[in-house]
Amino acid sequence: MNEDLSILLSASLSKKGINGSIENLEPLTGGASKETWKFNLVNSSESSRMIFRRGSGAESSLAIRTSDEAKIQEEVLKKGVPVPEIVLVSNSNNDLGNSYVMKFIEGETIARKILRDECYKSALPLLAHQCGEAIAKIHNTPLKNLQFLPKKSPIQLIEDLYLLYESYKQPSPVFEYAYRWLKEQNYGNFEDSLVHGDFRLGNILVNENGLTGIIDWELAHIGNPIQDLGWMCGNSWRFGNSKKVVGGFGDIEDLIKGYNGISNEKINAELIKTWQVFGTFRWGVICLMQAYAHLNGSINSIEKAAIGRRVSETEIDIVDLLLLGGD
Amino acid sequence: MIFDRPTNIELISAVIDFLDTEIKEELPPHLAFKLRIVTNVLKIVQREIDLGDNLSKDAEDLIKEVIESTQEPSLIELASSIKEGNIDLDKESLRKALIGITKSKVSVDNPNYSTFKKLVE
Repeated sequence: MNEDLSILLSASLSKKGINGSIENLEPLTGGASKETWKFNLVNSSESSRMIFRRGSGAESSLAIRTSDEAKIQEEVLKKGVPVPEIVLVSNSNNDLGNSYVMKFIEGETIARKILRDECYKSALPLLAHQCGEAIAKIHNTPLKNLQFLPKKSPIQLIEDLYLLYESYKQPSPVFEYAYRWLKEQNYGNFEDSLVHGDFRLGNILVNENGLTGIIDWELAHIGNPIQDLGWMCGNSWRFGNSKKVVGGFGDIEDLIKGYNGISNEKINAELIKTWQVFGTFRWGVICLMQAYAHLNGSINSIEKAAIGRRVSETEIDIVDLLLLGGD
Repeated sequence: MIFDRPTNIELISAVIDFLDTEIKEELPPHLAFKLRIVTNVLKIVQREIDLGDNLSKDAEDLIKEVIESTQEPSLIELASSIKEGNIDLDKESLRKALIGITKSKVSVDNPNYSTFKKLVE
């Protein structure tokens, strides 16, 4: 398997005029619906570290095509967003399948390590501001070359999510309450923007100086930009550090300052909170979706079974936000 | 109850201890991670056996306060009343029901969850 992949990679790269031998090809742990490999591309003058990412064809219904992730990374890089440089894109059904090769960026993704390990202590106070800036740059990306992405208004997003929730026939009074509440909110008059869709610890690379890269663009779409900020502020992505509203590491003022310094649109904490409720509902429905993938027999997995009992975590976060004045 | 000790809860405890002491050490990291999920799931089942009936009864009482006419109060019924718009979202009994029921669910699913701990303190 490794050898076959190695030969395919080498052949595809040399077709692009990139020559060298593939060494130390190893799988990385990552999302279940995608394979990720690392390898070294070695030629007479240098050795470069690369990442290969390939879709399985069994991605969630919310995800875009793997090769389209690469196209987004190419566009946002032009606006100075820290993302791995794309080396090769494949969107054929044979050979490398739906996949791409990108340059390796140094940095940690595991939330627990970033929040607890000594070497990231210096990075954490900088990170909220840096994330605000990076998210604003993503939102400033011209959409001209990204028209293949799905476009969703806030109301469409809410309705899509509600339909998905309803399809599992497991009624939740809290989700019904959240749905009614979300439909009544004002989402502001923002220009359509590129939205990352899953911006949080786990999908960003961090070193001792802070943010080094943004990965996992599979939930990207075009829509109201503030959802990226609300998503990362949800308690689900604070990894137990609930007092640090931004991703478990930062304060909302720093995120807003970073964002407003770069963005054409100016935002405030209240708008973020509305999207935080949406994001919490969204994570709850994703948990339901995963649990029912197990219950319907399409994937037999203890992780997916267990995640069904995490839906109530999102319910208590919604209750806290909407009924008890929580943040 | 016609069954002898160990009780169902005690049996699950014995399984958790076995997994944590004798199995955990033997496993490579990716399976050790899964084992943590397995023991967590078993603890959910224990808490549900222990607390589930009482918490479900409490929930029924809370729902009766919101929907007065109901014969068999259930989450399904409460959810559909909210959905149909039969209840004002500001109604105090609804607020109490949503808070009470949700706390009960999390007390079984994950009593270590940060928001739950914050709200019961």
